[in-house]
Amino acid sequence: MSKRKDNDFMDVDYDSDISMGDDDDFKVSKGKGKGKTVDKKKKEKGKGKPKDVQAYTWEANFARSWDTVQEDEGGSLQGAVNEFMARGRRRRLLTPGSAIRRTIIRHLVLLLDLSLAMLDRDMRPTRFDLTLQYAREFIVEWFDQNPLGQMGVVGMRAGLGERIGEMTGNPQDVLKAISERHKLEPTGDPSLQNAIEMARNSMSHLPTHSSREILIIFGSLTTCDPGNIHDTLDACVKSKIRISVVALAAEMKICRELCDKTGGQFGVALNEGHFKDLLFEMVPPPAQRNMTSRGGNPAADLMMMGFPTRLPDTSPQSLCVCHSELKSEGFLCPRCLAKICDIPTDCDICGLMVVSSPHLARSYHHLFPVSPYDAVQTLQDASFIPDCHACGRLFPTTPLTTVTEGLSPTGRYRCTTCKHDFCSECDVFVHDVLHCCPGCGK
Amino acid sequence: MSSAPPAQAVATDKPSHLSVIVDLSPSQWHLSSQPPPANTFPLTLNSFLSQLLAFLNSHIASKHENTLAVFGAFPGKSLMLYASTESETINPSAVDANSYPPFKMLDSTIIKRIENELDQLDTDEESTLPVALVGALTKALCYINRISHFSAANVSKAKLPDSLTTSDPHILILSVSPDLSAEYIPIMNSIFSAQKLKVTIDVCKIYGPETVFLQQAAHLTGGSYISLERRDALLQYLTMAFLSPPSIRKALSVPTQDKIDFRAACFCHKKIIDIGFVCSVCLSIFCQPVPVCSTCRTKFPIKILQRLNASRPPPTPGSNGLSRTTSMSGTGGLPHSGSIRTSTSNGTLR
Ligand SMILES: [Zn+2]
Ligand SMILES: [Zn+2]
Ligand SMILES: [Zn+2]
Ligand SMILES: [Zn+2]
Ligand SMILES: [Zn+2]
Ligand SMILES: [Zn+2]
Repeated sequence: MSKRKDNDFMDVDYDSDISMGDDDDFKVSKGKGKGKTVDKKKKEKGKGKPKDVQAYTWEANFARSWDTVQEDEGGSLQGAVNEFMARGRRRRLLTPGSAIRRTIIRHLVLLLDLSLAMLDRDMRPTRFDLTLQYAREFIVEWFDQNPLGQMGVVGMRAGLGERIGEMTGNPQDVLKAISERHKLEPTGDPSLQNAIEMARNSMSHLPTHSSREILIIFGSLTTCDPGNIHDTLDACVKSKIRISVVALAAEMKICRELCDKTGGQFGVALNEGHFKDLLFEMVPPPAQRNMTSRGGNPAADLMMMGFPTRLPDTSPQSLCVCHSELKSEGFLCPRCLAKICDIPTDCDICGLMVVSSPHLARSYHHLFPVSPYDAVQTLQDASFIPDCHACGRLFPTTPLTTVTEGLSPTGRYRCTTCKHDFCSECDVFVHDVLHCCPGCGK
Repeated sequence: MSSAPPAQAVATDKPSHLSVIVDLSPSQWHLSSQPPPANTFPLTLNSFLSQLLAFLNSHIASKHENTLAVFGAFPGKSLMLYASTESETINPSAVDANSYPPFKMLDSTIIKRIENELDQLDTDEESTLPVALVGALTKALCYINRISHFSAANVSKAKLPDSLTTSDPHILILSVSPDLSAEYIPIMNSIFSAQKLKVTIDVCKIYGPETVFLQQAAHLTGGSYISLERRDALLQYLTMAFLSPPSIRKALSVPTQDKIDFRAACFCHKKIIDIGFVCSVCLSIFCQPVPVCSTCRTKFPIKILQRLNASRPPPTPGSNGLSRTTSMSGTGGLPHSGSIRTSTSNGTLR
C-alpha cells in the first residue's frame, strides 16, 4: 500500500520538475489532497530549489542549491540527508525489479548548444561554463555505468552543426574533445536541424542491438533551420533514435515534440542543481520497454567479442595500432594480434569488439538489480537483532514520531529474501553502489 | 626484520582503516594443518590466529587513530568479529596487569566470537558448506562506507572535515578456500564498489588453489595478491606486505602481480576463451554461436547465426582442446596469413 502512495507522489513530483508555471498550484492542491503531510511536501520541494518560495531562477538572489540543501531547523544535516534517502527509495520503488530489459551497448551523441544564449548568467558562472563542467562529470559517470558504450560530441553554433568529438568508447578522448574552452566559444544562433542531422549520420551504421541516443543541452529559445525540422524528426523516429533534451531557458514546443515522439525525456532546468539532476537521469541504460510492447524482440543479437591477452609491463616495447606509440603495456587483439592501448574498443585492424571480462561484469547489475528493501514500520515487526546486519550500527530503540514518507520510523530496512535488517545508510549503499545484498549475497 | 611499523618510517599524517576478512572454513583449515608430506609447511588454525592477532595489534599500535574491523567468513554465514569503533566495556576482572588493555580486548573478543561460531557448527554437513566470502566482503564495504560518510558526502561534501573522508581504507582478505563460480557477479560488484569508495583490496592466499576472482579484486583496486610460499612465516608476510597503508606502498615496493588474465570463461562449458559470442540482452558468454540464449531464453535471428558461423576464426575443428592450443601458439608468434585474410574480410562485422 505504501508503495502505491510513493508511486503517486513521485509522478506528481516529476511533473512539477518539468513544468515551471503551475508549480505553486501544485503545492496547494497537493496540500488539500493529503492534508496532514503538507509541511513535509513543502520541505521536499525546498530541496531542489532556493529556500524562499521562488519558482523562477531569475527571481532568486545569488543562491546555490548546494547551500540551500543543508539548511535545517536545527542547523543539522539530518533533514537533507533524510530527503536524499527518501528520494532514492522512491526512485527505486518506481523501477520494477528484474523484469525490464535494458540496452547495455549504448551509443550517445551529446549535442551542446554553443550559441550566444549560452553566455547568459542566470546560472553561475555562465550557462556555458556550467554546461562544460557538468558535461565533464556526466561523461565520467556515463562511461562508469556504461562501460561498453560509445559517445560522440556535436556542437551547434552559427547556424551549423559542428563535430567536436568522434564517436569513441574511451572517456578520456571525449573529455579531451571538450577540454579546450576557447575552441568552443559560443557564437551565433543554434540550428537544431543541422546538428541533429549530423548526429544522426554518425549513428546510421550502428547494429540493431545497440541504442542510438541524442542528448541535447539547449540554452536558446530559437532555432534557425535550413528546412523542415519535422522531416528530421520523422527520420529519427524511423531510425529509432531516442532524443532527450535538457533545456536551460524554457520549454519549446519543438523540443518537447522531439522527445515525445522518439521516446526520450524532456526537462527544463530550474537551477544549477536541477540541471545536474536532469542530466544525470540520462546515465542509467534506458529500458527497452516500448520496443517490446510493439511486438517481437528486435534488439536481440549475438555479438562476437574478443577477450584480449594483457601484455605485462615488463614486455618488450612495440608500437600500438591506435596511436603508433612505442610502449610495453597493452592488449593483443585475439583475432589479428594487433596491439591496442585501451579496452573496450573496436579493434582498429579487424573491427572485432575487444573487451575484458570485468567490462562485461560492470554491466551485470543493470540486469540483476537488488530488489528494494521493505521499510519496517513498527517495533513489533522489528527483530531482536539490535544492530544493522551489514555495518553493525545500532538501531534506534524508540521509533521516531515524525518520519518522511517512505522512510522507516524504526530505522530498519528489511531484505525480502534473507529477512535481515539494514540501516538506512546501508540501504542506500546496497542499492546504489554495491548491487548485492550483504545478507543473502544476491 | 624488525616488526617496527613502516607507517611511521614514511610520514603520513592520515590515520588508516584496515578491514580484515578471515576465511574460517573448518575443512580447509583441517587440510592446511596436515603434517608433511601433505603440506611442506603445515599451518594450524591456532598458529594462524596467534600470528593474525599479532598483526592486528601492530596495526592498532602503529598509529593511535588507526581503525580496525575484523569480519569472519564461516560456512554459509558471515559475521563482524570486531570493530574498533564499537567500544565494548572491558570487564575489570579480566584485565591482566601484564598486558596492554586494548590488545587484550581485541584478542579476547575475536577469539571468543570465533569459538562461539565454530562450536555452533555441529553437523559435518554444515561445516563443509562453502564459506560466505561475499557476505563478509560486502559487510566490510558497508562498514567502510559507514565510517567514511560516503553517502552523506553526496549531499554535503563541503561540510565534512578532511580527517573523516581521507582514512585511506584497505581490506585484507586471508583466503584458504577455492573460488566459487556462483560468486562471480557479487564479487565483481563488490570490486566495483571498492573502486568507487577508493578502497584497496589486498589478498593473502594462505592455503588452497589460486583464486582468479580474488586476483582480479587485488588487481582492479590496486592491491597486492600474495600467495604464501613459506606458510610458517605468515606474520613476516603480513607485516611486510600488508601493514603499511596503500598510500605509502610505492615507497616500499610491495609486490603486485603482473601476470593476470582477463579472458572470460564461457557460460556453457566454463572454458577460457579468446573470442566469444555474447547475448546482447543478458551478456552471457558462449564459446560458439547458439540459437537460443540459455540464460535469458532469447532467440537469436537465424541470419545472425549464419553470419557468425561464417566469420568464426579459421581453425574451428569443434574440439575444445584443439582450438585452445591453436590460439595459444598464435599469441607468441606472428599471425598466420589465413587469420589475417579472414579478419579483414569480416572487418565490417562485429
Ligand atoms: Zn595506442
Ligand atoms: Zn583485431
Ligand atoms: Zn548499516
Ligand atoms: Zn538479502
Ligand atoms: Zn562453452
Ligand atoms: Zn541472454
